[in-house]
Amino acid sequence: MKVSTRRIRRRQVLASAASGAALLTLPGRAPAQGGAKPLSGVTLNVSCWSSSYPKFLADYIPEFEQATGAKVNYETPSFPIYNQRMDIELSTKSDAHDVINVTFIFSGRWVGAGWVVPLSDFIDDTKKTPADWNAGDFLPGATAAFKDRQGRLCAIPWIADVHMAGASRYDLIQQAGLKLPDTFDELTTVLKAVNRKDGIPAIVVENHYGWSFIPFLQGFGGNVFRNPPTDLMPVLDTPEAIEAAEYFCNVLRDYGPDGILSYTYDQVLETLKQGRANYSSSNETFLVQMAQKDSKVASTCSLSLTPAGPKGRFPNVAAHGWGIPVGSRNKAAAWEFIKWSMSEELLLRMFNDHGYSSVTRRSIIQRPEFRQKMQVNGVNVAQLYLDTLELGAKGYTAYRTVPPYPPVDHEIDVAIQNIVSRQKTAKEAMAQAQQNALMQLKRAGVKL
Amino acid sequence: MIRRRGIAEGFGVLILGVVLLPALWLLQMSFRHNDDIMSASWRFVPTLENYTSLWNGQFPGSFVHSLLASGFSTAFSLLLGVPAAYALARAQFRGARQIGLWILATRMAPPIAFTIPFFLAFTWAGLMDTVTGLALIYVTFNLALVIWSMRGFFAAVPRSLEEAAWIDGCGVWSAFLRIALPLAAPGLAATGILCFILSWNDFFFALILTRTRAMTAPVAIVNFMQYAGWEWGKIAAAGVLVMLPVLVFTFLVRAYLVSGLMAGGVKE
Amino acid sequence: MAPRPAVGWAAQQRRAFRFGLLPALIVLAVVTLGPAAYLLVTSLTPLTPVNPDTAFDFSDPLGNYRQIIATDEFWDSVWVQIELSVVTVVTQVLVGLGLALLLDRPSRFLEALRTGFLVPMVLPPIVVAIIWKIIYTPDISPLHQLLAWLGLPIHSLITDARTAIWAIAAADTWEWFPFTMLMLLAALQMVPKEPQEAARIDGANATQLFWHVRLPYIRPTLVVAALFRLIDSIKAFPLIYVLTDGGPGGATEVTNYYAFQQTFNFSYWGYGSAVATLMVAGVFILSLVVNRMGGEAIDD
Repeated sequence: MKVSTRRIRRRQVLASAASGAALLTLPGRAPAQGGAKPLSGVTLNVSCWSSSYPKFLADYIPEFEQATGAKVNYETPSFPIYNQRMDIELSTKSDAHDVINVTFIFSGRWVGAGWVVPLSDFIDDTKKTPADWNAGDFLPGATAAFKDRQGRLCAIPWIADVHMAGASRYDLIQQAGLKLPDTFDELTTVLKAVNRKDGIPAIVVENHYGWSFIPFLQGFGGNVFRNPPTDLMPVLDTPEAIEAAEYFCNVLRDYGPDGILSYTYDQVLETLKQGRANYSSSNETFLVQMAQKDSKVASTCSLSLTPAGPKGRFPNVAAHGWGIPVGSRNKAAAWEFIKWSMSEELLLRMFNDHGYSSVTRRSIIQRPEFRQKMQVNGVNVAQLYLDTLELGAKGYTAYRTVPPYPPVDHEIDVAIQNIVSRQKTAKEAMAQAQQNALMQLKRAGVKL
Repeated sequence: MIRRRGIAEGFGVLILGVVLLPALWLLQMSFRHNDDIMSASWRFVPTLENYTSLWNGQFPGSFVHSLLASGFSTAFSLLLGVPAAYALARAQFRGARQIGLWILATRMAPPIAFTIPFFLAFTWAGLMDTVTGLALIYVTFNLALVIWSMRGFFAAVPRSLEEAAWIDGCGVWSAFLRIALPLAAPGLAATGILCFILSWNDFFFALILTRTRAMTAPVAIVNFMQYAGWEWGKIAAAGVLVMLPVLVFTFLVRAYLVSGLMAGGVKE
Repeated sequence: MAPRPAVGWAAQQRRAFRFGLLPALIVLAVVTLGPAAYLLVTSLTPLTPVNPDTAFDFSDPLGNYRQIIATDEFWDSVWVQIELSVVTVVTQVLVGLGLALLLDRPSRFLEALRTGFLVPMVLPPIVVAIIWKIIYTPDISPLHQLLAWLGLPIHSLITDARTAIWAIAAADTWEWFPFTMLMLLAALQMVPKEPQEAARIDGANATQLFWHVRLPYIRPTLVVAALFRLIDSIKAFPLIYVLTDGGPGGATEVTNYYAFQQTFNFSYWGYGSAVATLMVAGVFILSLVVNRMGGEAIDD
């Protein structure tokens, strides 16, 4: 089954390649008579973790090689392997790669430490980038994570992964006479009403709480730092933070499956797709997979915006992007690759050939056919996507990309674990998180 | 005697069955279609697609790399370590104990301690992403195991036989080859197996010191953990396949684990 | 051959032994001294790659060590490590010994069975971790389902601070008992037959046979097996990484895991090196103690 689908896709790709090849004109580098190619002799080493966009891109790379004469060594290892390797390589300014993925959770570190080249030189120079490539087309919610301290863009985002909410068994919620909750209060009502209906727990959430808890933290009026990125004083033990932690942990404990603290993001996805848990607040890239053909809940699932707390709605926005390591010896050629792989034409073809929808170019999102394809059981996911991105652009996600965030992220994980497993009360746990966060920031040399 | 053996055999099978339950679970998982795996039902339609899909991509190559790295490192570890173990076991100089402890210390550091220096050194020496480089690392960390393990086994071989040979004019290493080593054969087999297994299953150093040209099997398995859902079926199938060469190796070597050489060999 | 003169033979012997020891020592020295020096030097700096100035900042050489000693999380991790190591080493040695005794019989059938017992150790550690993750997730675990069906339902073991470390110890024992079993089996096979025969003729029962005849011969190997399991238990990683990530709330965070997080997740290379140095020092002292306990058996 899978093999023949691949063959069909290849045929589609080759067909569109005929039209696509014509679009691969590189400005100022038209092939001379006799066909000397602009990048012949250049070998580009490109690496990205194995998400859907990078996997689809592999099908189109031969066209790039054909048109430019470059040779591309392309690899897509899994997420943890990619990050582990790349972190060490970048920190030692290695020249092993020319185009890399700037992973969201490391963007603060990699961009902040100056390990990737600021791309403004390439973007602003009209000889290197034609105006119609339209660098301003990329959603600000997605590019925000890749700006360095001087505001220069250091990576071109190929995905904007937004937080949404969804239910695998919306039918059970409807049976209880309710709809998907829009506020925390409604959330409690819905969870209470459908818990253990059909034998399944009402909610499941991934255990990276430094990510999944924050919308709740901010929804209650709390925050991680006082005013990132300038004022990094942690504020994890404020009354709002404690209230948020209590609410969140009670929800997990009372309505989640046994052992919820051990549920990783991929486990959560599997659980939802099998219909073994109902509601979740998670990344859009995962939630839409509930509607895929291989999911058991394709006809009973639904999506909505992340619920809002008393102080507002704060869905997370993550982005991954293409960047150039400072150690690379083929920076100009690397930029050519990035330009090509993020061009509107290529992304549109990818959308048509593979159904790739987590795009970051406004021009594509606003097309009618895009909105058409992004419907799930009557819900216009494209609109939810855009609305969430708008919210994200407001800047409350700034806490995430400050370089010393990872240890604070860990302290939040530990605090939630302590509360749910009843080793500490919310007050004690958040107080400990605050204390440890202060110590970590001191160790990182941050002036408070 | 025979009845006791029968009881022992029965017991053995029973315990083995219980111990292997998780592994058998893995085996059945490898024959399931990916979507079926997390479902609670016991019935399923077996499929070979997990195994066949492994033959594309990097898996076959990683298998070969693992074989080469583990094979070479085991051979060299034994070559270097067994004589050293014999020397430590038989020599009567005072520093023997200290040297033994320092050798042991080379194994004590957690992998994270050596990651960065090895990464830098390997890049500089051009050993990055090579089977040779990996084998070198494995030799180093298994030397301590070989030396200490074989030293313990040599200690259990009575000195008297070699002393008799020495008095008769036999050289130290000649006596080693002809007397001590054959008597310690079960220990040698066990040590060789352990060396091979520990190199074969290493993940951390393979992760840091290889990329694509020398990727080994454990790293290839982790590569199946995609962002959008682990490919359980492939992981299970890969786990089963990765296990097989070592089991085969052990099975072939099992004759040496039995000491038939002691019977009638010692006449005091 | 003519009998060898005593004088000069001792010197010849010593030379021969040094010759046997040297190649191994050279290889070890070349490959480990450099990194060891690097580790020690780095532990004296607040090195973090995001800030290049920290690389040679020796202004406060013992700063990392002072921080470590003042950090509760570090001492908690040491305690968890001790718990885990003691339980797993003792259990693995006992289980390994028990199985070795069972399998040490002249039986072709048992010989073939031995290979089967190695399976847990032969599986790649990451796969072992995944198997046990499934076993410990109530929603999909055959174990939990079986217990519930038998009327003895239990809650998730890896998310309860009281049981998490024992759950990991159980998985670890399953994975590594073949190590001790294999070594002890070989050692048992090497026990000379004559003393065993003699004891049996004298009327010794199985326990006496074991305690007085076989145990002295296998003692060196027992010590080595325990030592190596101890050293490797300090480095335990895949199980914790997959099953609990050090949680819940640090209940399964062993020192190695703490060092890993500090070094790789937070980029505190200097601090992490200091933790690693302390770990090595601790293990070294422990090994001295264990070795001395089984001491006479090794040093002829």
